[in-house]
Amino acid sequence: MMTTRPLHAVLRYPTHLRSSLVWQCSRSYHSYEHEAPSPFNPTEDAILSAALAHVPTHGFTTTALTHGARDAGYLDISTNLFPTGAFSIVNFHLVTQRLALAKHASSLQPHADITTNVRSLALHRLHANKPMAHRWQEALALLSTARHIPTSLRELALLSDELLFLAGSTTVTSAWYTNRAALAAIYAGAELFMTQDKSEGFAETEEFLTRRLEEGEKVRGGLDMVGKWVGMQAGGLVDGLRSKGVWI
Amino acid sequence: MSVAITSRSFFGQALRRPTPFLDFLLPSFTIPSSRTRYAPITTSSASPNTEPSPSSLKSFSSNKRRKPLSKTQREFLDRGLRVNQAGELAATLIYTHQTPPITRAHPHLRSLMHRMYSQEAGHFSTFNEMLAKHRIRPTAMYPVWSAAASVLGWGTGLMGREAAMACTEAVETEIGGHYNGQVRVLLGWVKEMEDKGEEVGEEVRELVSTLKRIRDEELEHLDEAVGEGAREAKPYELLNRVIRSGCKGAIWISERV
Repeated sequence: MMTTRPLHAVLRYPTHLRSSLVWQCSRSYHSYEHEAPSPFNPTEDAILSAALAHVPTHGFTTTALTHGARDAGYLDISTNLFPTGAFSIVNFHLVTQRLALAKHASSLQPHADITTNVRSLALHRLHANKPMAHRWQEALALLSTARHIPTSLRELALLSDELLFLAGSTTVTSAWYTNRAALAAIYAGAELFMTQDKSEGFAETEEFLTRRLEEGEKVRGGLDMVGKWVGMQAGGLVDGLRSKGVWI
Repeated sequence: MSVAITSRSFFGQALRRPTPFLDFLLPSFTIPSSRTRYAPITTSSASPNTEPSPSSLKSFSSNKRRKPLSKTQREFLDRGLRVNQAGELAATLIYTHQTPPITRAHPHLRSLMHRMYSQEAGHFSTFNEMLAKHRIRPTAMYPVWSAAASVLGWGTGLMGREAAMACTEAVETEIGGHYNGQVRVLLGWVKEMEDKGEEVGEEVRELVSTLKRIRDEELEHLDEAVGEGAREAKPYELLNRVIRSGCKGAIWISERV
């Protein structure tokens, strides 16, 4: 099933339900005893993966979708399966590449720190865009149309969550939110940078990503230190007053 | 002048013993009896005998077929575990901030406070691990609950032993009822799975026993708080109601955001 939720569909819900739609961008309880079902049915999978092969030549267009349907042995009319047209190819690429990250995660260094793991996973994900890097601007354009923004943001949030989970992050404080937001911003920046990158093997994108992650780490470390310092001072003040006999 | 006095005593009485007629004036302080469908938690430190304990909770392997949890079930666990983590966060902070003023005034309570704190800290880390493992989002109100719980713990600690114990009693009553509700729902699932001849997964089985253990420990704290004179707190009724409605509100919000 397509998980597109266009803006007008969101606006159709009463106001008090809209917030719960936004919260759906996080997954619910993850069970280890059962595999999650594939988000696409076999027909969709066949057509969209064939269409993806045409993207380097035809771009993210309905033409690529039609060629894909023909290659998979379906009639041209079967592109009506995808009411969002070219966007469904973009969505398919995002979802399948996100789910494919789990396979790469097993090749991570066992005792590496989380930032190293996040960097390796994010690079792996960026490299999946390589074959269509020269067409990626079209995908970004589609992703940023008003109609598709809820899906795009949801997908970005899910990717960021996936990267941190696979990297082994177990933070469940408010930092859960800041980590995910920061990583989403860094990844989106790197993806945008990649569309302009003309270097061999996208080496500059790699450097860009590494720099941004380092900066993020520095900011986080700094904020942690400030927080700790303030906590220590406040605790010291209270203890000092207590030792003077003040009844607090 | 006399009007003011009579009205004050009138409302004072109403606050202590609310009549249905005044319920609408004090919506957040009163607990409508119609909403309590099950016997309220008063005091009990052991699992009730009436609670079913299906044999499949103990069996470990079989070749029976397994069915994945449904979407509603996963959403229930998502909400429930998020609330549990927020509750244990609040509990650890309440005890942390109650301990210094209480143990200074009543050194004999040191071991009790320490025991309650370390049990809550254990629960907190249990739920932290569960959230990380099952990829559940923590509540967005995390900083708000931290601040509120610290203020509550510190405030009731300053008010004295009885107030602190009344706070413990109120909080544990709500949280005990909340855990009880979860255990009841999970046991309902287990029964349903058994009736259909499906295997109860390890995850659900473990979750039920963990929740039962934690619930019983929380209710132990409730007993101990009552034993230490929680009911003698000065505005007992008011404290109890304010804290309990606060807990209810916090649970309601944490389920959603």
